[in-house]
Amino acid sequence: MTDSKGTPLDEAVSLIDKTREQTAAMVEKIFAAAQPGAVYGQPIASETYTVITAAEVTSGGGFGMGIGLGPPSRPGGTAAATADAAQPDDRQTGGGGGGGGGGGSMGRPVAVIAIGPDGVTVRPVVDVTKVALAGLTAWATMLAVLRARRRARRR
Amino acid sequence: MRSGIDITWAREVPAEPVTVGDVTVTPRARALVVRLPQAGFVWNRPVAVTVERAGAVRRVPVVDITRVLQLGLLGLGLAIGVAIPRRSDPKRR
Repeated sequence: MTDSKGTPLDEAVSLIDKTREQTAAMVEKIFAAAQPGAVYGQPIASETYTVITAAEVTSGGGFGMGIGLGPPSRPGGTAAATADAAQPDDRQTGGGGGGGGGGGSMGRPVAVIAIGPDGVTVRPVVDVTKVALAGLTAWATMLAVLRARRRARRR
Repeated sequence: MRSGIDITWAREVPAEPVTVGDVTVTPRARALVVRLPQAGFVWNRPVAVTVERAGAVRRVPVVDITRVLQLGLLGLGLAIGVAIPRRSDPKRR
């Protein structure tokens, strides 16, 4: 849109084009997490050992936008009749638009790779909290099933 | 602007190799990439490391113990949740 008049519609379309370009650039940043370098940390050397951390990386995000234009308004503030609105005139068009987005990323340590005099070892990192929560959830589910079964028997 | 959905389950991709003495370690990762017109999702995880020493190449897997335990507990819960009602069903006796 290169109309130099700068009508509200042209301005809105221009704004949408700009926003689209920006959001496309932002979405591309999300995909930076797909590189192998995002998973493995920089090697850390300490005396005889060199350590590399390995983590699971998850990232995601999305953006959206919208715009709406209405018929030209009359001086009294009421919208013009449809027949009037269909005819091109210089009266100002009303409208509105908006956009939004969100995203996030998460990293969880998985293992530590140690390179030392005794060779290369991969030591797993266990997230005890997550495992305990999974165990509690499984136990609660089993308990709920057992209780429901007992109640059904009594009836 | 992209149009449509693009899902890629990438093959193992090597990261920058690390050389310590005569040992060269190459970490490898695998990524799931979902591309939507105005959104995206990436799940990237370590898979293995290849260890090269004196011409011999050895592959050492990187096991996610936390995930294994979580899935194991989930499977156990589901299995018991399905088995108990079946066992105590009077119609099956």
